[in-house]
Amino acid sequence: MEQHTAKAYDVVVIGAGNGGLTAAIRVLQGGYSCLLLEKHNLPGGFATSFKRGRFEFEASLHELNDFGSPEEPGDIRTLFRELGVEDKIDWVRIPEAYHLITTDKQYDCEMPFGVEAFISKMEQYVPGSRKSMTDFFALCNEVRDAQTYSSSVNGNTDSSYMKAHFPNFIKAGSYSVNEVLDSLKMPKRARDILNAYWCYLGVDCDRMSFLHYGSMVIRYITRDAWMPKMRSHEISLAMDARIRELGGDIWYHSPAEKILTDDSGAITGVRLADGTVIPTRHVIANCSPHLVFGQMLEEKSVTEQMVRATNARTFAGRGFSMFLGLNKSAEQLGIKSHNYFIYDTADTVKQYDLMRKVSTNHVQATVCLNNAYPACSPEGTCMMYFTTMFMSDDWGNVTETDYFKAKDRLADDMIRVFERETGCQIRDAIEEIAVASPTTYARYCGHPQGVIYGYETADWDSLMPRMMMMAEDAKLFPGLRFAGGYAMRSSGYSSAYVSGDLSGRQTVGDLKREVR
Amino acid sequence: MNFKRQIFGFMDMLRFTKLVPNRREALANGSAAPLPKEYRVNTLAKVLHPGEMAVEVTGVRRVTEGMTELTFRRTDAGAFPFFRAGQYVSLRGEVGKSLVSRPYSIASSPREALQNKLVLGVEDAGFFSRHLGREVKVGDRFVMTEPSGEFHYETLRDKKRIVCIAGGAGITPFLSMAKSRLEGDEDYEMILFYGARDEKRIAFKAELDEMAAKGIQVVYVLSDEERAGYEHGFVSAKLLEKYVDIRDVTFFLCGPKAMYDFILKELAPYSLPVKAVRKDATYCGSLSLENPRTFRLTAHIRDQVYTVDAREDETLLTALERAGIPAPNKCRAGGCGYCHSKWISGEFRIAEGRDGRREADRKFGWIHPCVTYPISDLEIDIPPAEL
Repeated sequence: MEQHTAKAYDVVVIGAGNGGLTAAIRVLQGGYSCLLLEKHNLPGGFATSFKRGRFEFEASLHELNDFGSPEEPGDIRTLFRELGVEDKIDWVRIPEAYHLITTDKQYDCEMPFGVEAFISKMEQYVPGSRKSMTDFFALCNEVRDAQTYSSSVNGNTDSSYMKAHFPNFIKAGSYSVNEVLDSLKMPKRARDILNAYWCYLGVDCDRMSFLHYGSMVIRYITRDAWMPKMRSHEISLAMDARIRELGGDIWYHSPAEKILTDDSGAITGVRLADGTVIPTRHVIANCSPHLVFGQMLEEKSVTEQMVRATNARTFAGRGFSMFLGLNKSAEQLGIKSHNYFIYDTADTVKQYDLMRKVSTNHVQATVCLNNAYPACSPEGTCMMYFTTMFMSDDWGNVTETDYFKAKDRLADDMIRVFERETGCQIRDAIEEIAVASPTTYARYCGHPQGVIYGYETADWDSLMPRMMMMAEDAKLFPGLRFAGGYAMRSSGYSSAYVSGDLSGRQTVGDLKREVR
Repeated sequence: MNFKRQIFGFMDMLRFTKLVPNRREALANGSAAPLPKEYRVNTLAKVLHPGEMAVEVTGVRRVTEGMTELTFRRTDAGAFPFFRAGQYVSLRGEVGKSLVSRPYSIASSPREALQNKLVLGVEDAGFFSRHLGREVKVGDRFVMTEPSGEFHYETLRDKKRIVCIAGGAGITPFLSMAKSRLEGDEDYEMILFYGARDEKRIAFKAELDEMAAKGIQVVYVLSDEERAGYEHGFVSAKLLEKYVDIRDVTFFLCGPKAMYDFILKELAPYSLPVKAVRKDATYCGSLSLENPRTFRLTAHIRDQVYTVDAREDETLLTALERAGIPAPNKCRAGGCGYCHSKWISGEFRIAEGRDGRREADRKFGWIHPCVTYPISDLEIDIPPAEL
């Protein structure tokens, strides 16, 4: 490509992940011009698929929570409706919540969707848990209502209104999951089963804010989780199509290298790796502040405050996934559940600690997609994906010449654990196998250390203070907002879409204020 | 319900009001040390996946009538990435005003890559390969894509014993697989059947004989010549039975389509599972059409628009390259997805059996130009090539 200065855009979005795609649609819907830049040749970031032989694998999505049915839409379906992409996608409903197994033989529980069903099933597994479970969901409902109110006023909440309407939300709001469940006098075994979703947020329950966990669990249990039939690639292409419809531009194979600024520190444009410059005054970064302030932003504009605020944060889990195309059906193999959580222990603090090292990590969140969508692979076959995370940079010790063997060792362990714990023999049925390591995630998405969960939402950096400081955080560098897993809503599909929605609309607000 | 953790509810409320000041303080007290410029995992990702590499020819050797061995070194780094034996690279160069690129299996080993050496075997077949075989000299420069592809041993899927069957230039990936086994990076037991018309068309015989002495079993099969020490005929099931238990091996096939058709027919009576037979992808060439029409292809690359002639018997990728427009591509077989491009308008057809697109690609109008032929004027949006 010739190096040149392209036409100017009102907004340049860096990264076509879930957050970037959503943000770009919001900017365009606000009536402003937008260019979306993506380093890879596909949209979606983690939200994609890939083919091996006769299988098309889902790269990352287990289920889209808070989606709901067309008649009773959850927040994410409503967002997709507003974005104009809901109808471009064929959806399939996820049948059950999760199947928890711990390898210390303490738990083997299948949990359903629906509050009543969930509480009743829990009472079966843990007699005497009903009251505390009922209180838990009542509290979660208040959490959700408070968050709905907070979103409706863009985070500018009235504290007396909050106190009057959501007193329990405020009183429970500063505590961890385990502290709150302890106060609800929930039996230990019920807590263990309820905490199974913790790995979706990647922080142990001593440090994870109850508000964060509660708001996720209530969304999973009360509103159906759904999934696009053609894997998450269908969502990403639907959003790409929508951006084109709205007159936006998307450039693939176009990594942004520098965010350019003038002497007053204001953004003047974005420069690509090949030298092309795109003039703009607004950037939405669907990547980490570590990359933006550490590498992309012109050094003269990087302040000590930016450096301190970025260094203060802790990277969350680094991803590792295995994908299997099996030449027998799920039924033939005896795989009954859609979504397995297999832990060494239900003690999340101990488990988190074991996940720091590659060698001591045997956790897996495993999906058999055919048990939600039987037609996802050819008749007589099925498809599975297994995911785990490392809670330190231990994978960084892997050398170039040991790389393929290191992947095989971990994949082998995942198969061994799954077979041992479920009794389903899958090894001989492997027709296709692919493994994605932190190196793979670093390669395609550029995230430091192959992190897939953004910054840990633990202790002081939990969801609530992040949301309450949204406006304050954005002042760190006017003209720049973040979307995606590193943004205020943290990681996960739904959260990334919501952060894109917020940052997209807020950038429209910034542009409108400029005109005034 | 009425949630309470401390003795008085107001104490719980008070804690809530501290959330923001606590976070504000923690952010302000982060380290002032410069943010990292590099991360180990990301550095390894760049080493293993450099994308497009600048390379230079360091050796040219005629190995048989009709086949040339080319040795390369990287000029943009000190080593090629470590790879999985059996993988390929795509080589791109200029012939006249056209850009041309083709995938070639790597013949050298992953360990040699670390010594900045990568070897390809090029058969005098197509337009570019003939050019490479006849015209190329030491010092010539090309662009090469990183090693890619799924044609390699899969430790957790494949049988311990593998049967490799090579026809013609299809020998190259097996040279790498044999070397990699001998260098200790793979642990399969390998038997290689190498089919050729006659002895003088057997390439790399000295290297193969040397590896045979070290434990790689090599069986030469000549179709047009009877000779002591060589099998005669084709690689039939009967011949295979002589050496292996067909049901307890994984097959790796690399060669011309006619060879695949023959072997698959021979193996059909055994009803082997799909996983037992791996075939290397073959390059997607032109259609044979009488009086092919020429259409207008409009290609958007970022904010640039190019209009070129596109013949209906040539792929869209070839049409672009013929006009000197660099378009991303790797496998040229429809499978790797690297040329993934947005269709805008016009009609096209896809080479039979080569539609490697994802389901949603078909739904939203995306194509792989490396296996797509125009049947009307066409407009597409392609990503720029890297280098």
